[in-house]
Amino acid sequence: MTLTDSKVTSGIAAHMRDGVKIYGEGETQVRALDGVSIDFEQGRFTAIMGPSGSGKSTLLHTLAGLDTLDSGQTFIGDVDLTTLKDRPLTEIRRSKIGFVFQSFNLIPTLTAEENILLPLSIAGEAPDSGWFDTVVSTVGLADRLHHRPSELSGGQQQRVAAARALVTKPDIVFADEPSGNLDSKSGAQLLEFMRQAVREFDQTIVMVTHDPVSASYADRVVFLEDGKVVGQMDDPTTESVIDYMKKLGA
Amino acid sequence: MFRASLKSLFAHKLRLMMTAMSIVLGVAFVAGSFVFTDTIDARFENLFSDVFAGVDATVRPDVDDFGAADASMDQGLLQQVLDAESVEVAAGSVGGFAQIIDGEGEPIGGQGPPTLGFSWVDVPSLNSLRITEENGRAPADDDEIAIDVATATANELSVGDVVKVQTEQGLDSYTIVGLANFGTEDNLAGATLTAFTLDEAQRVFGLEGRLTAIDVVAADGVDNTDLVASLVEIVPSGLEVVTGEQQTQEQLDGITEGLGFLSTALLAFAGVAVFVGAFVIQNTFRITVAQRTRELALFRAVGASSRQVTLSVLFEALAIGLIASAVGVLAGIGVAGLIKSGLDAVGVGLPDGPLTLELRTVVVSLIVGVVVTTIAAILPALKASRIAPVAALSEPVARTGRKSLRNRAILGSVLSGSGIAAMAIGLLVQTGSSLLLVSGGAVGVFLGMSTLAPLVAIPFSRAISAPFRGITGKLARDNTARQPRRTASTASALMVGVALVAFVSIFAATIKSSVGDTLEEAFPADLAFASTNFTVGVSPVAVGLLKEVDEVEVVSPIRTGIVSIDGNEVNVLGVEPATVGAVYDAKPSVDVSGIGDGMMVQVNVLDTTGRSVGDMVDVEYLDGTTIITTIVGTFEDPTFGNYMISDDVFIKHVGDDIAIAFADLGEGVDLEVGREAVATALAEFPTIDINTKSDQITEAEEGVDQLVALFSGLLGLALVIAVLGIANTLALSIVERTREIGLLRAIGMIRRQVRQMIRREAIITALFGALLGIVIGTGIGWGVTASLADQGLGSFSLPVIQLGIWLIVAALAGILAAVGPARKASRLDVLKAISHE
Repeated sequence: MTLTDSKVTSGIAAHMRDGVKIYGEGETQVRALDGVSIDFEQGRFTAIMGPSGSGKSTLLHTLAGLDTLDSGQTFIGDVDLTTLKDRPLTEIRRSKIGFVFQSFNLIPTLTAEENILLPLSIAGEAPDSGWFDTVVSTVGLADRLHHRPSELSGGQQQRVAAARALVTKPDIVFADEPSGNLDSKSGAQLLEFMRQAVREFDQTIVMVTHDPVSASYADRVVFLEDGKVVGQMDDPTTESVIDYMKKLGA
Repeated sequence: MFRASLKSLFAHKLRLMMTAMSIVLGVAFVAGSFVFTDTIDARFENLFSDVFAGVDATVRPDVDDFGAADASMDQGLLQQVLDAESVEVAAGSVGGFAQIIDGEGEPIGGQGPPTLGFSWVDVPSLNSLRITEENGRAPADDDEIAIDVATATANELSVGDVVKVQTEQGLDSYTIVGLANFGTEDNLAGATLTAFTLDEAQRVFGLEGRLTAIDVVAADGVDNTDLVASLVEIVPSGLEVVTGEQQTQEQLDGITEGLGFLSTALLAFAGVAVFVGAFVIQNTFRITVAQRTRELALFRAVGASSRQVTLSVLFEALAIGLIASAVGVLAGIGVAGLIKSGLDAVGVGLPDGPLTLELRTVVVSLIVGVVVTTIAAILPALKASRIAPVAALSEPVARTGRKSLRNRAILGSVLSGSGIAAMAIGLLVQTGSSLLLVSGGAVGVFLGMSTLAPLVAIPFSRAISAPFRGITGKLARDNTARQPRRTASTASALMVGVALVAFVSIFAATIKSSVGDTLEEAFPADLAFASTNFTVGVSPVAVGLLKEVDEVEVVSPIRTGIVSIDGNEVNVLGVEPATVGAVYDAKPSVDVSGIGDGMMVQVNVLDTTGRSVGDMVDVEYLDGTTIITTIVGTFEDPTFGNYMISDDVFIKHVGDDIAIAFADLGEGVDLEVGREAVATALAEFPTIDINTKSDQITEAEEGVDQLVALFSGLLGLALVIAVLGIANTLALSIVERTREIGLLRAIGMIRRQVRQMIRREAIITALFGALLGIVIGTGIGWGVTASLADQGLGSFSLPVIQLGIWLIVAALAGILAAVGPARKASRLDVLKAISHE
């Protein structure tokens, strides 16, 4: 396992400095990110929480190079994403970042195996079959590899997406409400797997969620409100998160 | 509900435009054909009304439909006409063939519009030609001529120039003394006009002391009917009297008939374009209905009946059809203008004036456009009506369903089968409606094949995409296979165009190889002589000169004309019995030298008439005589006609015009030397083309190639519409796959790869359509040429390279169609695409 090679140098998988993102103009202007500075250490599982409109999705999208900042900088490793054009940015997303979205994670015409290998196919790279087997057996999909997404349950689909996110051994995985559409059992399975990836493979994961139970799987919770980081908590439990949110709301 | 569908229409302007475009193009062609034809009719009506304005009546030889050109009357008749009380003034004239030769010895005009010679009429009210003061004067001496302004302008000739003029009598020099207008025009539909003095005209046309027409102005107070009646009394039998209006009408009928082929052809191509457009429309509506499932279901959920949903889709089609057809009519005026300039460019000058837009054109074009669009939308509309209200609530899923393949296979086979049957009946059984059966059959085959196409879409797209490696190739293949009906229906539009183009290519290749084979086999002669002028053949004087040439061993002229047998007009050829065997091997059953006063008949034709050698047949000739003729033998080659008689009989009863003459050179004479010798001998006849056998083959092939190019160009329109259809389908399916493409981009697909994926989808679809088209076109081509094998199309030829080129063109068309959609897909806003709702 040589996952940690590039990360040892900094210890920080991704970080943002003074990130500002503004939507709209004039009266309707919304500061989705209002001077956010935040680090994500390698090998940790971070949950980002906040009420609707707090800017948590925007934070995730700008960190992942899917959206651009209006000012400030955001880094994957030591690469400044704000200086990159579309093509190198796309290549960073392909090689250094993994994604798990809330829904529609898979290409319907491809089998589970093909979906998992998709980032490598796009890059024209051969998969590391040992790593592929490890990932597949960890998510428990070995017997579902030749099924198409329409033949898989919602939980299985999200685990295929998670396997895809890991197969390139990315520097960081971004997950946007990954268990949002799942029943509690499937959700728990998925989150357990994500935590396992952090523990066993030293993977770095950043997850946006509004659910305190989901957040409790993380090593750290960052709270966002009105585009600002308003607090954080290490080793959260469901109860401590709920308590903290109550305090914020008050 | 209607307001809702109108709103939905304008909310998708691009979709609207792309759909409308396919209708606009088809309707433009329909309207263009009408505008063009109407314009010609109107212009020529004006022109001929001007030309015959001063003529109240004309005395002329009574020629029937066969149109014998050299009929004439005694010049003495003119005085009798002038003496009649009902006549104010009259003038006699003669007309015939005359061709001006330019300074380089090249004939001017004649390859299309006629080259006409006639005598100058000194009575101004009876002369349709006008010479204005600055353009000189009328010919007064026998070595003077006047020519038309347009010919003079085009060839930089002016008053005072000396030119040579070719007539049947040979070549003579004349001074141009005047440039004449024809009515109000510089020119008569591209014809080249030469006016001589009456004496000179009579000499060069071989009509000394004779006239071909006497034009008459009625005395004051005599109306035309009375004038005609009084003239009929004095003219001898064999002559007729007609009014100016009748002549105007005759000329117009002639023009309409001549250009009728063109307007029929244009309408046929317009039909193809509209048919292809219907595929595109149907496909677009099917996709948009699928995409609007939730919207339509919502209408149902809030209380709209399924009937209202159907009507709303049909109403949308109606609105698009109406708007697009209106634009199409306007574009059609442009099309007509283009055709007119095209004809001008190739030298067929049409009278100037505005284009004619009849109400009928607008009505027919609108009806065609609206009806076709609405009919094409019926199936999608019915599908829309079956959407359940509950669909409003469920997540739309990209459908992979395959509906009742068995029914589809049965329907497709029945359609194709009856299409093939109709074509076979049309081709093999002689009925009056062959053309209708063949084209209707072709429509059946196309509909049937497009019904069957989804069944083979998946294996086809697999095979086609085999060379496409990598993930973009795989995704492109999967996407075309995902909805075989959509892929097949998109490809079908291209299929129709390519099938027709392939058919034309195959037909042409077969003609070419057959012509080559026929020439090799049937024409052993070294040299052939034909007139470059469409109006007249080879002069008998020229053939006489050829016989004097030392290098020439034998010359044999072949005359062709029309006679009537059993009430049918048939082509007859007159041959020189003693010499024809040496130059033309028609594979006769007995030696042609013994034909005498008898007749030989093409062997297959003889079979179908049920007669046999030795029978007697009534042959009606142009001059009104009927001769009972014995069938003395048969022959095989049908190139010149199916009935053969001796030239003695032919010249006596049909005419002296020689279609083609062949010469064989003496033993040991070099081909080039012989050619030089005959060229020198024919120096007086620059309108005669001297060809070796390879020249003839090349010439025939060039003619065929030009036709193929013309047809392919016109069918190109159908290809353009099909390409629009592919672009439309792609654009719509990209909208459907927004999230999928967004996901691909998010996890690392670069823009170039997205474009490549879309482009490959387009190529697969285009090649699928083109391959189907080539298969169908080859089938039809084989069937049609096989059924015409008797008529000289025996050597079926498959132009593999040309068909290969069409495949490449189709692939390129696919790439072109993908440009817009691929660009759109690659510029997709990733964040929007992946955000939920």
